[in-house]
Amino acid sequence: MPADPNMKILVVDDMSTMRRIVMNIMKQLGFAHVEEAENGEGALLKLRAGSFGFIISDWNMPVMTGIDLLRAVRADDKLKTIPFLMVTAEAQKDNLLEAIQAGVSNYIVKPFTAEVLQEKMNKIFK
Amino acid sequence: MLNANTKLYGELGELARSLESAMRKVSEIGAPLASDSAPLPQATAHLLDLNKMTEEGTLEVMRLTEMIQDNHARAARELAVMVSALEAVDCQALAARLAKTASELAQDDKHLMSIMTALSFQDLVAQRVKKLVTIVEDVQCKLVELVVVFGLEQAGAVPESKGKADEMLRQLEASKSTAIKQDLADELLSEFGFK
Repeated sequence: MPADPNMKILVVDDMSTMRRIVMNIMKQLGFAHVEEAENGEGALLKLRAGSFGFIISDWNMPVMTGIDLLRAVRADDKLKTIPFLMVTAEAQKDNLLEAIQAGVSNYIVKPFTAEVLQEKMNKIFK
Repeated sequence: MLNANTKLYGELGELARSLESAMRKVSEIGAPLASDSAPLPQATAHLLDLNKMTEEGTLEVMRLTEMIQDNHARAARELAVMVSALEAVDCQALAARLAKTASELAQDDKHLMSIMTALSFQDLVAQRVKKLVTIVEDVQCKLVELVVVFGLEQAGAVPESKGKADEMLRQLEASKSTAIKQDLADELLSEFGFK
């Protein structure tokens, strides 16, 4: 099933530039409802307040990291089924394995292109 | 017994002189070390300023790129309407020319998106700068500890050593040698059933 263009997407990254890049790509891909959070803690608050259909998160963030956010999402009955895409510069094999164990839906290594992001979304929502 | 005591006192005296000499040498090295380390907080501030400056510059490029993208989107909609209108009145040649222009605009849109994603360099640079700042701060803490322990400077409390420098250095070094690329990440993902 292709991704619903009306679904709410949450972009989580402590860097404003990265949030803007991902949000721009989402807009160009036709997704109009994209929100942002600066870290895992802020993301959890938004996720619990609204009905999001997709999470795109960085790994390395202050306050609450992406991997901790992923674990928190997977441990929450209301949120655990939301697809979670990790977009990160943490490009060690151990990081990837840790994310897989925590239940990541897919994983993108920075720097990335719009095509890679689209391809990963297609895989997640096929 | 007397001889043994005399020998022991002699050795203790020798030890005390050695200690005093070592302390003096440490002081001689430590004093310039303490003054040389004074600019470290400014250095870290400058590094963090670099992050801020590149972030501001990047956001401005993004703002302008997004304006061009929005203009392109409007122009593409107008062109589509014009192409339809011209086709309706059988101006195929003009319609084809406009359609070609629309196609070229669409190509430019791809380039604009590439510009946007290329700007992710700022995030990668900022992450490395943050790690370097942590390393510098850790070194600074250890220098201050040295200064206080050897009495080179009486004022100021001993800051708690964070011990994060090694970890940050390890991460920076690891990123040079063992960082995986997307294709390897995909390979690993497929091993775990990600299609």
